[in-house]
Amino acid sequence: MDRKKILVANRGEIAIRIIRAIQELGHTAVAVYETPDNDALHIRIADEAVWLGDGPRADYLNIDKMIKAAKKARVDAIHPGYGFLAENPGFAKACEDAGIIFIGPSAEVIQSLGDKVTARRIMEGAGIPMVPGTQNLSPGEAGIEEAKEFADKYGYPVMLKATAGGGGRGIRRVENEEQLIRDIPMARSEAGAAFTNDNVYLEKVVLNPKHVEVQIIADTSGNTVHLGTRDCSIQRRNQKLVEIAPARIQDQGLLDRICAAAVKASQAAQYTNAGTVEFLVDKDMNFYFMEINTRVQVEHTVTEMVTGIDIVRTQLKLALGKELAFKQEDVQIRGHAIEMRINAEDPQNNFMPEAGKTVTVYRSPGGYGVRLDGFVYQGYTIPDSYDSLLVKLTVHGFSWNETVDRLRRCLKNFVITGPKTTIPFYLNIVNDDDFQAGDFNTSYLETHPYLIDYEQICTEGNKLARLIAEIHHKHENPYAV
Amino acid sequence: MERIVQGMSIDEVLRILRSADGYYITNTARDLSQSDFKNRILLHTDLLAAKPREAAGFFSLEITGGASVHVDILRKQVDPFLKLELLREKMPHTMFQTLCRGVNLFGYRPYPQNVIRLTVREFAKYVDVWRVFDFMNHIPNMQAVFEEVQRAGKILEPSICFSTGPEHTDEFYVQKVGEILDVTGENILLCIKNHGGLGTPKRIGELVDAIKQRYPELVIHYHGHNTDGNDIGRITAAVLNGATIVDASDHAFTGYYGPPPILTVIQTLNEYDKKAVGVDEEAIIETSEVLRHEREHYEYFESQFKGFSPTVQIHKLPGGAMGSSFEQAVKGDFLDRMPEILHDELPKAQVELGNWWSVTPGSQILWTTAVSNVLDDDRYGNPSGDLKNLLLGKYGPFPFYQPEDWIYEKVFGPEWKDILAKDGGIDEIEDIDVEKERKNLAERLGYEPTEQQLVTYLQHPNDAVNFFEFEDKFGKVYVLPPSILIRRGGFKLGETLTFRDHYGKEHIIEVGPEQKSDNGDTNVYLNVDHHQRVFVFQAEAQQAGAAQAVQLSKEEIEELAQVGDVRAPFAANVCEVSVDDGQEVDVGDQLLILEAMKMQTPVNSQVAGKVVKISTKIGQAVKPGDKLVKVEAG
Repeated sequence: MDRKKILVANRGEIAIRIIRAIQELGHTAVAVYETPDNDALHIRIADEAVWLGDGPRADYLNIDKMIKAAKKARVDAIHPGYGFLAENPGFAKACEDAGIIFIGPSAEVIQSLGDKVTARRIMEGAGIPMVPGTQNLSPGEAGIEEAKEFADKYGYPVMLKATAGGGGRGIRRVENEEQLIRDIPMARSEAGAAFTNDNVYLEKVVLNPKHVEVQIIADTSGNTVHLGTRDCSIQRRNQKLVEIAPARIQDQGLLDRICAAAVKASQAAQYTNAGTVEFLVDKDMNFYFMEINTRVQVEHTVTEMVTGIDIVRTQLKLALGKELAFKQEDVQIRGHAIEMRINAEDPQNNFMPEAGKTVTVYRSPGGYGVRLDGFVYQGYTIPDSYDSLLVKLTVHGFSWNETVDRLRRCLKNFVITGPKTTIPFYLNIVNDDDFQAGDFNTSYLETHPYLIDYEQICTEGNKLARLIAEIHHKHENPYAV
Repeated sequence: MERIVQGMSIDEVLRILRSADGYYITNTARDLSQSDFKNRILLHTDLLAAKPREAAGFFSLEITGGASVHVDILRKQVDPFLKLELLREKMPHTMFQTLCRGVNLFGYRPYPQNVIRLTVREFAKYVDVWRVFDFMNHIPNMQAVFEEVQRAGKILEPSICFSTGPEHTDEFYVQKVGEILDVTGENILLCIKNHGGLGTPKRIGELVDAIKQRYPELVIHYHGHNTDGNDIGRITAAVLNGATIVDASDHAFTGYYGPPPILTVIQTLNEYDKKAVGVDEEAIIETSEVLRHEREHYEYFESQFKGFSPTVQIHKLPGGAMGSSFEQAVKGDFLDRMPEILHDELPKAQVELGNWWSVTPGSQILWTTAVSNVLDDDRYGNPSGDLKNLLLGKYGPFPFYQPEDWIYEKVFGPEWKDILAKDGGIDEIEDIDVEKERKNLAERLGYEPTEQQLVTYLQHPNDAVNFFEFEDKFGKVYVLPPSILIRRGGFKLGETLTFRDHYGKEHIIEVGPEQKSDNGDTNVYLNVDHHQRVFVFQAEAQQAGAAQAVQLSKEEIEELAQVGDVRAPFAANVCEVSVDDGQEVDVGDQLLILEAMKMQTPVNSQVAGKVVKISTKIGQAVKPGDKLVKVEAG
């Protein structure tokens, strides 16, 4: 295979994940960065790096600058990762126009699936079960009237969603008419800032569903294969925190029907490359199509662990013109995998980000069945411009219990000091009976408020070190005067 | 020659003592620490000395009691019970001794019966010998403790406090001994408590002899201080006249106000053919070889004034109060008045107030009164509450005579007789509700306290809670040697500190640089077990008058918001200011929108009123507590 040059239009752990796959295939990885990422690890691991600008965020989101950087580095292809420009059809189009391969589906597919309203229309046509929803709301007062009418028909609560949103961003739950009137302009402003598209729409709320999604991979020769399900029900304000493969649903027939629907949905959308079809499953085991994410997901790691298939490597190969090297019957789900997103947040302070803090100690767990996808290192200061994800911990085990035990061990062995993290909160989840029994849906965190109760763990050595620091700083022991 | 070891019955101990050919030694390490090192000698040091001290074969090691229980939690941050437990592990054979202030126990106020019972019961798990005293030698003040110690099956050692003067006759003291024996029975040790190191060897010899003449079977334990440099003489006289146990301590740490060196006692009495029973001289020497290297770390806590103080025979301050008196004089800037206070006023006030015994809390009353008598130039014009209580007889009846009327009149005014008639006499102390106190403590700590924690709390409530919180925060710090825990002047860059924690784990801490950040905070870098850690110290509050950099807590920010002073609840960028100056707002109206890490959070008004000040603008990065908008309630 001839050596290609591939630019990774992203930062953080996903940039590193992609760079690794590029390098494993023998290609050259080009990183990009904004000034706050001067010390970021993805620049060091990549073979080359191009500076985009001072940012923050604006340059990672700037299509022109990204294309310029790609041309400067003379790359053959661009992998967008997730977030930033990943689901921006304009970017895919700009790549095509510049003669650079965009690693993902075509601009048209991103366009139609990214517009949630168009996507719904396609899926309805293909006979995929749907949650009732509106078209894009008209601008101004008219849109608010349309929204009120829909909500009156289906009842509150309703979901207010950014048409161009995804990954839990640009979604808010609306409880009553007063909030609806207040939130629509705010949602528009947020969507405009985040996705440069301020269209929003409403959906009926399926109460306390399970969030089940299917990993799809398709080549341009018409082969579409699913890699099984993931359960992403444990979320905080629609941000996924814990992801599990396969979904913890006992009814294998239901899981098969969901996977079949996912394949059908992606074929209807003429989907290529890797994508995710998301469904809601209600308490009566009805499932509804929610959306297709046209990118690699944060949680793709759990699917990789249970199938043994390297999704990013497959993405690269497909984009560079190969056909799928495996068929549906080659895909075997072995064991269970759980991913936890370790964020620099203080769960006890409403998950406030701990930006600006320096990681003073970073000691990660390892051993059998453990995978880490991170980008922090000891001495790294968390910039306040980006999201708070530090590292993804993914564990794999033969049985569910083994997997949970392994996860608990890893969380206990994980030492990150400096910023507060979600680790102690996750330890409570792992020790929770309902979690262990697989009994959870999207209301899990609301219905288990005690998970937030934990003591900040501080080792004896660190406690004593703290006193020594005081004695050193104050020039005498302030407690012994 | 028979060594007495921990675990023997009281009868056995007394049998051995009564038939002893020679004398026994108590190592008063606690009193040494209190008198010459302001009570600061750390458990770490006592643990270093534990092995040779155990081998030395003392009658007992006085290692707790007096003010030490309070200083343990207040300054040394060590649990007084854990201390005894750890020492007991290393010293299984040596009896531990305590000093207990009768009804005041280890605190400063009289305790009710049920607290005394609880305290004695918990300490009795570790303490074998209980020396009990009362500064008025008022036996009823000690009776409750006597009973509890005997009930706990421990060795009771009641004291007669000793002093000098025309009233302090052999007859008086022999009679006091009789009063004690009437209450306790004969199975006790009797302490002659010479806390000031008063009197000559001849005087002490006569007193011991007088008691022995009257009570030949009584075992006498002589306790003295070396303030005038002559306690070896008094000890010698005591032993030659029949005392069976004497107090001294390790020569590596002996100073000016505490006990004299053990080895010198042994050498001196050898010449009189009196042998220290069960004692291993080699082990005593070894103890001091171990301790010698530690003394330099305690230099700061030694007396500012070096040398013996033979004038103690005039002012009579107890050894335990000498160091702190000079310290107060230095801090209070009245060092130049000390000769007058010590040599004129103190002896004068002592006689005027009844010539009883200058020891806690009486010594504090005398000292405070003498200082204010001199400094205020108005004798008895500013009486302390304790002096009033003393005059009212709250501590017990005056042993020799009541102070003259003019002092009462000066202290209480013309109606002093009525006041004395109405309020005079010892107060009955009612039992407290222990279960209620336990609940209070549990509430303050947030967990169920242990029985020992409860006892510590009952002695010194607030200091105990502070100590328990300190331990939660900093761990068990007794593991730190004095070169770390009481180091002054900070550590050297690159200095390596090693220690083993309470759970047995080794730690290495390397001291890194200290650095000021832009906002005035100081970052201290330490390499803790090979991992770098940064400890941030917020800038000290600015000098008075200058703008104060106040760090508001989450609760304070919330409280301010409730009165219209809207502060940033977290670090964020202001992405919208939704109100104008002067605008009327209602409760729940949006004032501005903050953005942090891609999340927009509206900030709403919690009061109805008028916007009077907008302290921020769009795009501004704000820190928690920064002023945003002020709404004046309408």
